[in-house]
Amino acid sequence: MHLDPFELYRPSTVEEVVRLTRDLGAACDVLAGGTDLLPNYKMHINLKPNLVALEEVEELRSYTLERVGSMTRLADLDRDTDFARAYPGVAAAVHEVATPLVRERATVGGNLLVETRCFFFNQTFPWRQSLGFCLKADGDRCHVVPQKERCYATFSGDLAPALAAVDASVELAGPDGRRTIPVLDLYDPGGDGIRRHRLRPNEIVVAVSFPAASRGLPANYQKLRIRPTFDFPELGLAAAGLVESGTVRSLAIAAGGLETYPRRFDEVTRPLVGERLNETNRNAASEAIMRSVRPVHNTFLAPDYRRRMVGVYVRRALDRLANGPPGVPG
Amino acid sequence: MSTADASPKFRLLGGRIPYVEGPLKVTGRAEYTDDIKRPGMLYGGLLRSPWPHARLVSIDVSSARSLPGVYAVLTGEKYPTPFGVLPITHDETAIAVGKARYIGDIIAAVAATDERTAELAMAAIRVEVEPLPEYADPQTGLAPVTEPIHARGLAGTNIQKEVVQHFGDVDAAFAQASHTVRVRGTFAGVTHAFTEPMATIAESTPDGRLTVWSATQVPHYLHRALSEVLGIPMHRIRVIKPEVGGGFGGKSDPLPHEIACAALALETGRPVKIRFDREDVFLTNHGRHPTQNDVRIAADSEGHLSAYDIQAVLDGGAWSSFGTVTTYYNGVLAMGPYRVPNFRYRGRRVYTNKPPSGAMRAHGGTNIRYSVEVALDELAESIGLDPFVLRERNALPPNSTTVNQLRITSTSFRQCLDASRVRSGWADKFRRLPFGEGIGLGCGFYISGSNSPIHFTPKMPQCTVHLKVDMDGGIAVHSMQADIGQGSNTLLAAIVAEVLGVDLDRVHVVRVDSDISPVDIGSYSSRVTFMMGNAARRAAEELLATLLRAASELCGYPVDQLAVERERYVPRHRPEVAVSFMDALHKAMEKVGALTATGAYSSPPMGGTFKGARAGTAPAYSFAAYVAQVRVDAETGEYHVGTIWAAFDCGRPLNRLAVEGQIEGSIHMGLGQLMGETMSYRSTRLMNPSLLEYKIPAPQQMPRVECLLVGQDDPEGPFGAKEAGEGPLVATLPAVANALYDAIGVRFHELPITPDRVVRGIEQRRKEGRPWKGA
Repeated sequence: MHLDPFELYRPSTVEEVVRLTRDLGAACDVLAGGTDLLPNYKMHINLKPNLVALEEVEELRSYTLERVGSMTRLADLDRDTDFARAYPGVAAAVHEVATPLVRERATVGGNLLVETRCFFFNQTFPWRQSLGFCLKADGDRCHVVPQKERCYATFSGDLAPALAAVDASVELAGPDGRRTIPVLDLYDPGGDGIRRHRLRPNEIVVAVSFPAASRGLPANYQKLRIRPTFDFPELGLAAAGLVESGTVRSLAIAAGGLETYPRRFDEVTRPLVGERLNETNRNAASEAIMRSVRPVHNTFLAPDYRRRMVGVYVRRALDRLANGPPGVPG
Repeated sequence: MSTADASPKFRLLGGRIPYVEGPLKVTGRAEYTDDIKRPGMLYGGLLRSPWPHARLVSIDVSSARSLPGVYAVLTGEKYPTPFGVLPITHDETAIAVGKARYIGDIIAAVAATDERTAELAMAAIRVEVEPLPEYADPQTGLAPVTEPIHARGLAGTNIQKEVVQHFGDVDAAFAQASHTVRVRGTFAGVTHAFTEPMATIAESTPDGRLTVWSATQVPHYLHRALSEVLGIPMHRIRVIKPEVGGGFGGKSDPLPHEIACAALALETGRPVKIRFDREDVFLTNHGRHPTQNDVRIAADSEGHLSAYDIQAVLDGGAWSSFGTVTTYYNGVLAMGPYRVPNFRYRGRRVYTNKPPSGAMRAHGGTNIRYSVEVALDELAESIGLDPFVLRERNALPPNSTTVNQLRITSTSFRQCLDASRVRSGWADKFRRLPFGEGIGLGCGFYISGSNSPIHFTPKMPQCTVHLKVDMDGGIAVHSMQADIGQGSNTLLAAIVAEVLGVDLDRVHVVRVDSDISPVDIGSYSSRVTFMMGNAARRAAEELLATLLRAASELCGYPVDQLAVERERYVPRHRPEVAVSFMDALHKAMEKVGALTATGAYSSPPMGGTFKGARAGTAPAYSFAAYVAQVRVDAETGEYHVGTIWAAFDCGRPLNRLAVEGQIEGSIHMGLGQLMGETMSYRSTRLMNPSLLEYKIPAPQQMPRVECLLVGQDDPEGPFGAKEAGEGPLVATLPAVANALYDAIGVRFHELPITPDRVVRGIEQRRKEGRPWKGA
């Protein structure tokens, strides 16, 4: 495995990035930390001849507790105790990403836009060639759910569900200027699963911003995987909300690592707001969320087990919000 | 409690000796094969088969050859001579001839100015094939098949080797038994996952010689295979082993890429390097066989074992490798550490269209011992005996012979049982911890050096060590033993320094080089400490005798009155006329110049006369009794091994630091196979050829390990030592599985024990209405 040569651009402003990506068109990728993109390049997956690196763009590297630049290194957030107090669920998710070494390079924006993953996709060129490639790269059919319409690769970021649970937004910049959207609007539940986001052409993620109400809100994140480090999530479950003397004042639950995009389960959690949390409605909520997810067999752990763990994790998340100190990591 | 504490008569041995090459390794200065660059060096690329089983109809290399920067493109026909690590099963070729037998089989080799050019050349090779039926399941291959993977398979099947043995009368023993148990074990294949991917450099020079640098555990077998396949006499081939970053059995076969690399060097007249990425390593494999075994055990009402009846089917993958040995070992390595008067075994190893299986740490012993030790836990429960009591009742005593004629000399197995029971607080914990927490016992034994040197007829020593010391007082040690990270260079230096009485920094272990290193058959079968240690000791004693004679001349006291002290030889009661090492040396050199000495080791005759009797014979055996304590999250099925009390009998530990490292590393590797490592296949396709998706346990998953070294001196081991490189692995797996049973009441007969299986097991038991510890 080796990297094929590519042209590397290192612009220093957001406007330059947007201009460059527009000029280069489809023949370029945007490079954040590179911890996901470059391994894929080494496996000759969806190679582009040009890389536009965001590293030199000062604006993307700065962060405050209200607004975190997309090029903020995960390790910097991980070390920040103020951040952990402000957003315990997000901090827990940051801490669970990959390994300490990877977190020194990996970025917030990169984790939001991390490529979806699949046994049949994250393989070397000869491996994929031996199977006639797949829908997501170089081929025309899916090997997980055999058909030619939709890709089932798994969304594998840790931050998106944690951010979604506290109503965070992402700020985008593109040729038509800037706009801000809810985190989950980055993803496309109605799409074909091949493209991992619905950014407009030549748009980049500039920052993540938090609403004032989310500061200090009790929240937690639980991550399922066979090893407590290295691995991508096989389920990442984030919960945030206020439970006062047993009564739910606010609640959101979101999950990643299950399907091609992260999801929030408002249809289950909204009816609980104003209710007293008890074993019955807690178990009913856990059951309802578990029933609504459809993992497929393209990660290490079996899909029926991952699904079952959704139920366990939802129960534990609600118990922690009701009883535990905020933000005990999963 | 320990009987093998560092004895005051040793200065170095028995202590904690940091690796002599450690400073070079941790500062990045140690030279591995891929660090070496030769002038004008080309890079080799290997085109691997995308087909699991296919007849090669034609391979068109013309456009690949014509690419700029491409120096050679080779296909299998040029060097079709088959080879293999065992002389009786030569079924591999450097490059596929006629057929491709698995996804990853090498079908062409390219030499080019750089790896990218080699890749472009490989993409330009046109291969026409006729696909053949693929065989993924060894069970299918037990019966005749349409297209046997090898012509040498048994009677139209894919069976590579069948072993049938029967000692005593197993059926009669079962008929009379008051208790019987049966475990049908299923084991996924696992691989070594050493740190350094393979790398080889070959250079053919105008003097008619071929030099090969390679990351190998057995330079000598590589030397032989190169000679056989390339048709060059061994004395014109020079094999050099640079530092090696781990092997665990995966670098013990001569491998196709090593020979292909040499072939490219011959073809081009230029040095050629081939280096593997991790996927190459996974596809080369030679890891532990995926295995199905069926273990039946009979005992009387007091727990005395009366018979083992064992069957095993091993998934061999595409080649034989060490498979004939593996097939024997999966039976005979069930035969310790207990007395078992009746024993029957049928083992079959079957070719499949998958990466070849081979030897991996605790080769042939790991899976069978898992099933046996889990079965014994079940037996103890059914009789109502404490698992320790069952083992004590059946422990083989020192100086005994098993029913299949394995000679057991030293065994401190009882001391191992005592140590792990006491240290773990067993009596207060077993069946007494709350639901979800448990403690379990697993035991092991393993060969300390195979008695059979694979290639030697007529018999030659299994190891030779040469020493040379010149006027500078530095002692050069030559031997083809292969330090692959396990510390054999350190031990070699320490033994020489210990015997001669000199400081360790006087001793330099010279890099393995077949031009100067006397033959040793390499690092496998846990033979190095025992065999090299004895050879080194003899060489050093020969040199010491010369030095003492010179010292005697200088001081005027007879040799038998001289004591060896640090850097000097001292007459008893007259320390003031002591002779320094340097003075003795210079005196001894007066007539002959630099001094040399030789030591060799051959294992004594042993074993029965029946077919296969040599399998499993060894000059000594290690023994183990491990206790593991676990905690299970019953909802998620995740579990954590908190502590392992590892009582181990390696005789006298010569380097405690290295022995503890081997035990800890073995436990990590054993836990890997138990908890999550698996060569995951869909049909014949390996789904996880990367260290991200092949789940080696993370540091957080390691238990606290308490090493209890309770071995007594072995009568034939060097300074009383036995092996500690493989035996420490086997007890790990059953100890944890039996602890899981104690925790949640679920038996696991299939590895790895992943959380989903744990959850399913708990649920099943609840469904059956069989609560455990009240839950």
